[in-house]
Amino acid sequence: MAIENEEKHFSGGKRYKNKDITVYWKPSACVHASYCYRELIEVFDPSRRPWVDMEGADTEKIIEVVNLCPTDALTWKWNEEEKNADVRADQCNHVKFRRPDLMQAGSEAMDADPVSAKVMIDGPIVIKGDFDLSYANIKKEVRDGLISICRCGDSDHQPFCDGKHRKTGFTG
Amino acid sequence: MEENKSKKAQATVEVIEFGPLKISGNFILKDLKRNTEEKPVEIWLCRCGKSGNKPFCDESHKK
Repeated sequence: MAIENEEKHFSGGKRYKNKDITVYWKPSACVHASYCYRELIEVFDPSRRPWVDMEGADTEKIIEVVNLCPTDALTWKWNEEEKNADVRADQCNHVKFRRPDLMQAGSEAMDADPVSAKVMIDGPIVIKGDFDLSYANIKKEVRDGLISICRCGDSDHQPFCDGKHRKTGFTG
Repeated sequence: MEENKSKKAQATVEVIEFGPLKISGNFILKDLKRNTEEKPVEIWLCRCGKSGNKPFCDESHKK
């Protein structure tokens, strides 16, 4: 079973497998919303190497928490390829890997949706949607975007979160 | 992709230098720690970590 849980590379990141599913991790897409380790530290522990332990929880729980990831940083697929076709778009977070068509469904209805600003527990502000952003002397028209703004004051990539709050033990 | 370009901004997000984050317009503010969800018109959120009224700014950054 050790071999099942092995950390392997794929283009853009790493993948982790148990007997049922493969979880893909793409660090460049992470905005440190921190749902993964907050909800399931047994599997997703950033202080451990490898940081993902696929034996830490059952498959159902891992899928549930990977689906919480607001970006492409964590996605998943059934190991049995045929099963992937039956997964509903709202039940999965792997569609960008193989079902881009499903991502389009419903996006039109979201055109006038309000922007979502989420204050994460002891973490950043995650802002999602269509908004105009300004910082320093930069102005950006962000559409269908997702950004994460530092709330602890310690990020080295101001104004954006770089995950530093976890190291400094920020609460708030 | 063309559709995206014509989409209008629903809100304005402004990072104030050495100050808070201002959000205004059509947006929903969810606070996962305090378990609140509101639809304010305009807010200032703390970015320095020192506010006594988190997540909102209380001007502690000036001290």
